[in-house]
Amino acid sequence: MTRSGWANGWLPVVGVSGLFVACLVISLSFGPASLSLSQLLHYVTAGPGDRQPGSTIFWQIRMPRVLLAFVVGASLSVAGVILQDLFLNPLTDPYVTGVSSGAALGATVGIVLHLPGMPWMTVLAMTGGLATLGIVWTAARRKARIDVYVLLLAGVTISYLATAIVSVLMIRAGQDMHAIVYWLLGSFSGRSWPEVKIALIAIPFLIVPLFFVREMNIMLQGEKRALELGVDVERTKRVLLLTAAVLTAVAVSVSGIIGFVGLVVPHVVRLLVGPNHQRLLPVALLGGAAMMGVADLASRTMLAPTEVPVGVVTTFFGAPLFVYLLRRRRA
Amino acid sequence: MTTTRPRRGLGAATLLLVLLALIALLGLTGCGGSAGTGSSGGSPSPAASGPITVTDDAGKAVTLKQPAARVVSIAPADTESAFALGAGSKVVGDTTFCDYPAAAKALPKVGDFANPSVEKIVALRPDLVLAAGGIQANLRSELENLGLQVFVVDPHDLAGVMADIEKMGRLMGVSDGAAKVVQQMKVTIAAVQQKVGSLPKAKVFFEIYGKPLMAAGSGTFINDLIATAGGINVGAQAGAGYPSFSTEVLIKVNPDVYVAVKGSQSEPGAIAKRPGYGSLKAVKDGRVYTIADNLVVRPTPRLAQGLEELAKMIHPEAFTTQ
Repeated sequence: MTRSGWANGWLPVVGVSGLFVACLVISLSFGPASLSLSQLLHYVTAGPGDRQPGSTIFWQIRMPRVLLAFVVGASLSVAGVILQDLFLNPLTDPYVTGVSSGAALGATVGIVLHLPGMPWMTVLAMTGGLATLGIVWTAARRKARIDVYVLLLAGVTISYLATAIVSVLMIRAGQDMHAIVYWLLGSFSGRSWPEVKIALIAIPFLIVPLFFVREMNIMLQGEKRALELGVDVERTKRVLLLTAAVLTAVAVSVSGIIGFVGLVVPHVVRLLVGPNHQRLLPVALLGGAAMMGVADLASRTMLAPTEVPVGVVTTFFGAPLFVYLLRRRRA
Repeated sequence: MTTTRPRRGLGAATLLLVLLALIALLGLTGCGGSAGTGSSGGSPSPAASGPITVTDDAGKAVTLKQPAARVVSIAPADTESAFALGAGSKVVGDTTFCDYPAAAKALPKVGDFANPSVEKIVALRPDLVLAAGGIQANLRSELENLGLQVFVVDPHDLAGVMADIEKMGRLMGVSDGAAKVVQQMKVTIAAVQQKVGSLPKAKVFFEIYGKPLMAAGSGTFINDLIATAGGINVGAQAGAGYPSFSTEVLIKVNPDVYVAVKGSQSEPGAIAKRPGYGSLKAVKDGRVYTIADNLVVRPTPRLAQGLEELAKMIHPEAFTTQ
């Protein structure tokens, strides 16, 4: 802590902050419709409201989409860190809680019903995710205690059930099958400000875990040891689990089920900065956001003017990376 | 808890497969690899008895000893054509997707378009099975191994559709009906061409699906219809089939006319309200339209009607009454 304290402590956070800003600027600057630097500066200074095609592309299409990708990336990464800690299982990702499958069911119902007026798909996905959380939570509750393993099993079970119902709806959906399949693959295509507003719910929940850094560090040594050291283990678990579940529900309801980010980003960050949550959490938050921003940039531009679902991009690059990391762990 | 891992891996793979199947399903009308081979081989006079041989869109010769009397159609388009040619009474079975004409709905069903039951097809003892290309390609060999004659309809443009209708007419002994239908199509097409031929081309975006935005790409009937109706298909730049399409590029290209297939996600009013659409020329000019998908994606005589409707959307000035 003495000599390299600063370097160990804050350098990675400062570095990843720089990366975050750079990725944000790059994501906003590039897209399938190329806008020149002078155009971009003009649109930024003129603000939204201009009906020019270029301004519309920047403010109505690209900006909300990039912001959404960043919030979702941050949410999935932070949820991944929390859940891998609580379950003490490196293979955990935000989707094990069943919240994502519940959200998928809600979104599918929203797609099939064709309700007019508001982004029902997103609203129902959110409802489905939180309802699943309620069921799983009730199942796992033992008086004041939450049984993490019951929670996990209940989550997986509900997840199977929801997936089965989604499959039935999908078979009966006819033409809507496209929308369901694309939703399940995960994408930011066609999302705009209404979805960004819903995603803003995630912001406070991204900040909450930063206040539990000390508890999370101690709990890595086991619940018993943490109790001895005066940590309110049950309260910490409850708050963190709920936080992770809400983050997952928000992320999934605005973007679908985007694979590997919540699994791989926490691992990569742990390899880079170690298990201390004081660094791990902020770096995962900013790094996850930046990574998702870049993945969506690739999804928008790789095969322009057509689009690759971002879930395909993250899985395509995430899977080999994860296998590599697993091999390194063993070595 | 690790058991969730392979399950999700499988899930993702299944999803991709489903997606591919969907693309293939939509592509059945479009990107068939085989070019329409010449009109026919074999016996020249439809009235003459004796074997009838035609070559289908898969490049395979199909021979019947006499005109088919019991026909099972496993493609909605083929069902439609059979009825249009006057051979509806010969159709003894079709799929749950076969919705036109109304009489087709009442026929015994052999399953849906993607998964017709081979058992049910065989049980109907057809002497001819009408099929589509794409995802039904494997089914063909399965049915042929059981001794059935299969005619595959997989054309890639209007001319190919008319050639197929003539061949179906011969196979089912309704060549006169086929000739009439084709003549009618030719008249409609010629009338449209005559009206729009000299007009400047308009940029047309054709939406297949709204969320995510999917366009009609190159190699589709829609692409051919748009060109024939005096338009330039914007979606063609995203590739063949029915590719997803970037909203950014849509706004940049700024089409003159926006056509979407009918569906509750594609009401003209709702389309104009989508984020960013306010700056589109087509929206500002009130030139957002919807069209029934069955008029533009199925290789049937109704394509000519679809062409006429599209032409009226792309060049309304050519259809105003004098």
